[in-house]
Amino acid sequence: MFATAVVQSGRSAWKGPFFVAFPNLRLALENNIPIKTQARSCTILPNFVGLRFLVHNGRDYLPVYITQDMVGHKLGEFSSTRKRFSYRATKTR
Amino acid sequence: MVHILGTLLPEKQLVKFALTHFYGIGHHTAARICARVQLHETCKIRELTPAQVTALTAFLSSPSTASPLPHLPLATLDYVPPRPSDPIPAAPRPMASADASQSVKELPGDRLKNIKIGAELRREMRDNIAHLRNIGTWVGKRHAQGFPVRGQRTQSNASTARKLNKILRYA
Repeated sequence: MFATAVVQSGRSAWKGPFFVAFPNLRLALENNIPIKTQARSCTILPNFVGLRFLVHNGRDYLPVYITQDMVGHKLGEFSSTRKRFSYRATKTR
Repeated sequence: MVHILGTLLPEKQLVKFALTHFYGIGHHTAARICARVQLHETCKIRELTPAQVTALTAFLSSPSTASPLPHLPLATLDYVPPRPSDPIPAAPRPMASADASQSVKELPGDRLKNIKIGAELRREMRDNIAHLRNIGTWVGKRHAQGFPVRGQRTQSNASTARKLNKILRYA
Protein backbone atom coordinates (compact mmCIF):
# COMPACT_ATOMS: atom_id res chain seq x y z
CA MET A 1 0.00 0.00 0.00
CA PHE A 2 2.74 2.42 0.95
CA ALA A 3 6.14 3.06 -0.64
CA THR A 4 4.93 2.65 -4.18
CA ALA A 5 6.39 5.00 -6.71
CA VAL A 6 3.06 6.76 -7.11
CA VAL A 7 2.80 7.54 -3.42
CA GLN A 8 6.39 8.69 -3.12
CA SER A 9 6.21 11.04 -6.06
CA GLY A 10 3.81 13.40 -4.31
CA ARG A 11 1.23 12.96 -7.03
CA SER A 12 -2.33 11.97 -6.18
CA ALA A 13 -2.61 8.20 -6.16
CA TRP A 14 -5.94 8.14 -8.01
CA LYS A 15 -4.35 9.70 -11.08
CA GLY A 16 -1.77 6.96 -11.43
CA PRO A 17 1.64 7.65 -12.89
CA PHE A 18 1.99 10.07 -15.79
CA PHE A 19 3.31 8.33 -18.86
CA VAL A 20 3.38 8.69 -22.59
CA ALA A 21 2.19 5.81 -24.71
CA PHE A 22 4.96 4.98 -27.17
CA PRO A 23 3.39 3.36 -30.23
CA ASN A 24 6.44 1.34 -31.25
CA LEU A 25 7.28 -0.06 -27.81
CA ARG A 26 7.12 -3.75 -28.66
CA LEU A 27 8.96 -3.34 -31.93
CA ALA A 28 11.73 -1.44 -30.19
CA LEU A 29 12.09 -4.10 -27.52
CA GLU A 30 12.39 -6.88 -30.08
CA ASN A 31 14.77 -5.15 -32.46
CA ASN A 32 16.70 -3.21 -29.81
CA ILE A 33 15.95 0.08 -31.54
CA PRO A 34 16.32 3.17 -29.32
CA ILE A 35 13.18 5.26 -28.97
CA LYS A 36 13.85 8.91 -29.68
CA THR A 37 11.66 11.03 -27.43
CA GLN A 38 11.24 14.47 -25.93
CA ALA A 39 8.89 13.24 -23.20
CA ARG A 40 11.20 13.81 -20.26
CA SER A 41 8.30 13.79 -17.80
CA CYS A 42 7.23 10.28 -18.75
CA THR A 43 7.40 7.88 -15.81
CA ILE A 44 9.41 4.73 -16.44
CA LEU A 45 6.98 1.83 -16.32
CA PRO A 46 7.91 -1.79 -15.56
CA ASN A 47 7.39 -2.76 -19.21
CA PHE A 48 10.08 -0.28 -20.31
CA VAL A 49 12.80 -2.40 -18.70
CA GLY A 50 15.43 -3.40 -21.25
CA LEU A 51 14.51 -0.63 -23.67
CA ARG A 52 16.91 1.95 -24.95
CA PHE A 53 15.79 5.56 -25.13
CA LEU A 54 17.24 8.66 -26.67
CA VAL A 55 16.02 11.37 -24.29
CA HIS A 56 16.10 14.98 -25.37
CA ASN A 57 17.93 17.38 -23.06
CA GLY A 58 17.06 20.56 -24.93
CA ARG A 59 20.01 20.27 -27.29
CA ASP A 60 20.56 16.69 -28.30
CA TYR A 61 19.36 13.19 -27.51
CA LEU A 62 21.26 11.29 -24.80
CA PRO A 63 21.15 7.49 -24.69
CA VAL A 64 19.45 5.96 -21.63
CA TYR A 65 19.30 2.21 -21.05
CA ILE A 66 16.41 1.27 -18.75
CA THR A 67 17.15 -1.17 -15.93
CA GLN A 68 14.88 -2.57 -13.26
CA ASP A 69 16.05 -0.04 -10.66
CA MET A 70 14.91 2.92 -12.75
CA VAL A 71 11.21 1.99 -12.59
CA GLY A 72 9.19 4.80 -11.06
CA HIS A 73 11.63 7.55 -12.00
CA LYS A 74 11.20 9.93 -14.90
CA LEU A 75 13.03 9.72 -18.20
CA GLY A 76 14.36 13.25 -17.78
CA GLU A 77 16.24 12.37 -14.59
CA PHE A 78 18.73 10.41 -16.66
CA SER A 79 19.37 13.04 -19.31
CA SER A 80 21.29 15.98 -17.91
CA THR A 81 20.33 19.43 -19.17
CA ARG A 82 23.45 21.15 -17.82
CA LYS A 83 26.86 21.49 -19.39
CA ARG A 84 29.90 20.89 -17.17
CA PHE A 85 31.91 24.05 -16.64
CA SER A 86 35.34 23.90 -18.21
CA TYR A 87 37.74 26.79 -17.87
CA ARG A 88 39.16 28.32 -21.03
CA ALA A 89 42.08 30.77 -20.76
CA THR A 90 41.43 32.61 -24.01
CA LYS A 91 38.28 33.49 -25.79
CA THR A 92 38.50 32.09 -29.26
CA ARG A 93 36.67 34.42 -31.54
CA MET B 1 20.15 10.39 34.48
CA VAL B 2 17.98 8.46 32.10
CA HIS B 3 19.47 6.65 29.14
CA ILE B 4 17.09 5.31 26.52
CA LEU B 5 18.65 3.36 23.65
CA GLY B 6 22.02 4.92 24.43
CA THR B 7 20.73 8.49 24.29
CA LEU B 8 21.02 10.64 27.39
CA LEU B 9 17.79 12.48 28.10
CA PRO B 10 18.09 15.60 30.31
CA GLU B 11 16.37 15.16 33.65
CA LYS B 12 14.72 18.53 33.87
CA GLN B 13 13.10 18.54 30.45
CA LEU B 14 9.55 17.63 29.62
CA VAL B 15 9.30 14.20 28.08
CA LYS B 16 7.72 15.57 24.91
CA PHE B 17 10.76 17.81 24.36
CA ALA B 18 13.39 15.38 25.61
CA LEU B 19 12.25 12.77 23.07
CA THR B 20 13.33 15.10 20.26
CA HIS B 21 16.94 14.23 21.16
CA PHE B 22 16.41 11.14 19.04
CA TYR B 23 17.25 11.52 15.36
CA GLY B 24 13.94 11.27 13.54
CA ILE B 25 11.61 12.40 16.31
CA GLY B 26 10.24 15.93 16.17
CA HIS B 27 7.73 17.65 18.37
CA HIS B 28 4.69 16.09 16.75
CA THR B 29 5.99 12.54 16.88
CA ALA B 30 7.20 13.05 20.44
CA ALA B 31 3.72 14.12 21.50
CA ARG B 32 2.19 11.09 19.77
CA ILE B 33 4.65 8.75 21.47
CA CYS B 34 3.82 10.29 24.86
CA ALA B 35 0.16 9.63 24.18
CA ARG B 36 0.95 6.05 23.15
CA VAL B 37 2.76 5.17 26.35
CA GLN B 38 0.17 7.18 28.29
CA LEU B 39 2.30 9.96 29.72
CA HIS B 40 0.68 13.27 30.56
CA GLU B 41 1.64 16.51 28.82
CA THR B 42 3.74 18.06 31.56
CA CYS B 43 5.55 14.93 32.65
CA LYS B 44 9.28 15.50 33.09
CA ILE B 45 12.02 12.97 32.62
CA ARG B 46 12.86 12.84 36.30
CA GLU B 47 9.25 12.03 37.16
CA LEU B 48 9.17 8.90 35.02
CA THR B 49 8.68 5.63 36.88
CA PRO B 50 10.90 2.67 35.90
CA ALA B 51 7.88 1.01 34.32
CA GLN B 52 7.28 4.04 32.12
CA VAL B 53 10.95 4.16 31.10
CA THR B 54 10.71 0.50 30.16
CA ALA B 55 7.56 1.16 28.16
CA LEU B 56 9.25 4.02 26.29
CA THR B 57 12.33 1.92 25.59
CA ALA B 58 10.24 -1.00 24.40
CA PHE B 59 8.28 1.22 22.05
CA LEU B 60 11.29 3.06 20.62
CA SER B 61 13.36 -0.07 20.09
CA SER B 62 10.75 -1.59 17.79
CA PRO B 63 7.83 0.66 16.92
CA SER B 64 6.51 -1.75 14.32
CA THR B 65 6.02 -4.63 16.75
CA ALA B 66 4.93 -2.62 19.77
CA SER B 67 1.66 -3.68 21.30
CA PRO B 68 -1.19 -1.42 20.19
CA LEU B 69 -3.14 0.69 22.63
CA PRO B 70 -6.07 -1.07 24.24
CA HIS B 71 -9.24 -0.11 22.42
CA LEU B 72 -11.44 1.69 24.93
CA PRO B 73 -14.73 2.53 23.23
CA LEU B 74 -16.65 5.64 24.21
CA ALA B 75 -20.12 5.42 25.68
CA THR B 76 -22.93 5.15 23.19
CA LEU B 77 -25.22 8.09 22.56
CA ASP B 78 -28.12 6.54 24.48
CA TYR B 79 -26.01 5.71 27.52
CA VAL B 80 -27.68 6.75 30.77
CA PRO B 81 -25.24 7.12 33.67
CA PRO B 82 -26.28 5.56 36.97
CA ARG B 83 -27.66 7.94 39.54
CA PRO B 84 -25.19 9.18 42.14
CA SER B 85 -27.28 7.65 44.89
CA ASP B 86 -26.85 4.15 43.41
CA PRO B 87 -24.14 1.95 44.96
CA ILE B 88 -20.97 1.67 42.87
CA PRO B 89 -20.82 -1.74 41.18
CA ALA B 90 -17.98 -3.69 42.72
CA ALA B 91 -17.06 -5.93 39.82
CA PRO B 92 -15.41 -4.39 36.75
CA ARG B 93 -17.40 -4.36 33.58
CA PRO B 94 -17.61 -7.85 32.17
CA MET B 95 -17.22 -6.40 28.65
CA ALA B 96 -13.61 -5.43 29.34
CA SER B 97 -12.39 -9.00 29.80
CA ALA B 98 -14.52 -10.32 26.94
CA ASP B 99 -13.03 -7.75 24.56
CA ALA B 100 -9.46 -8.59 25.54
CA SER B 101 -8.92 -10.58 22.35
CA GLN B 102 -10.50 -7.87 20.22
CA SER B 103 -8.39 -5.13 21.77
CA VAL B 104 -5.28 -6.60 20.13
CA LYS B 105 -6.62 -5.82 16.67
CA GLU B 106 -4.92 -3.00 14.85
CA LEU B 107 -6.36 0.45 14.79
CA PRO B 108 -6.43 2.01 11.34
CA GLY B 109 -4.10 4.85 10.52
CA ASP B 110 -1.50 4.05 13.13
CA ARG B 111 1.39 6.17 11.84
CA LEU B 112 3.67 5.44 14.75
CA LYS B 113 4.11 1.89 13.47
CA ASN B 114 6.17 3.03 10.51
CA ILE B 115 8.53 5.50 12.17
CA LYS B 116 12.25 4.89 11.98
CA ILE B 117 14.69 6.52 14.38
CA GLY B 118 18.40 6.85 14.85
CA ALA B 119 20.81 4.65 12.91
CA GLU B 120 18.02 2.90 11.05
CA LEU B 121 16.74 6.18 9.61
CA ARG B 122 20.25 7.30 8.64
CA ARG B 123 20.83 4.00 6.89
CA GLU B 124 17.59 4.39 4.95
CA MET B 125 18.58 7.88 3.85
CA ARG B 126 22.02 6.72 2.72
CA ASP B 127 20.46 3.85 0.83
CA ASN B 128 18.14 6.26 -0.96
CA ILE B 129 21.01 8.50 -2.02
CA ALA B 130 23.16 5.54 -3.07
CA HIS B 131 20.24 4.23 -5.13
CA LEU B 132 19.92 7.54 -6.95
CA ARG B 133 23.67 7.56 -7.60
CA ASN B 134 23.80 3.98 -8.81
CA ILE B 135 21.07 4.38 -11.41
CA GLY B 136 22.70 7.58 -12.62
CA THR B 137 20.12 10.27 -11.96
CA TRP B 138 20.92 13.97 -11.88
CA VAL B 139 20.10 14.11 -8.17
CA GLY B 140 22.55 11.32 -7.42
CA LYS B 141 25.30 13.01 -9.43
CA ARG B 142 24.79 16.29 -7.57
CA HIS B 143 25.08 14.46 -4.26
CA ALA B 144 28.35 12.92 -5.43
CA GLN B 145 29.68 16.34 -6.39
CA GLY B 146 28.54 17.89 -3.10
CA PHE B 147 26.43 20.51 -4.82
CA PRO B 148 22.82 21.63 -4.35
CA VAL B 149 20.36 19.19 -5.84
CA ARG B 150 17.39 21.34 -6.83
CA GLY B 151 18.88 23.92 -9.14
CA GLN B 152 20.10 26.45 -6.58
CA ARG B 153 23.04 28.71 -7.41
CA THR B 154 26.58 27.53 -6.72
CA GLN B 155 28.70 30.57 -7.53
CA SER B 156 27.97 31.78 -4.02
CA ASN B 157 26.15 30.24 -1.06
CA ALA B 158 25.47 26.49 -1.29
CA SER B 159 27.51 26.01 1.88
CA THR B 160 24.96 23.64 3.40
CA ALA B 161 25.08 21.44 0.35
CA ARG B 162 28.89 21.38 0.37
CA LYS B 163 28.76 20.38 4.01
CA LEU B 164 26.04 17.74 3.80
CA ASN B 165 25.63 16.38 0.29
CA LYS B 166 27.71 13.23 0.08
CA ILE B 167 27.17 9.72 -1.11
CA LEU B 168 27.66 8.54 2.47
CA ARG B 169 25.75 11.30 4.14
CA TYR B 170 26.31 11.47 7.87
CA ALA B 171 23.66 14.01 8.94
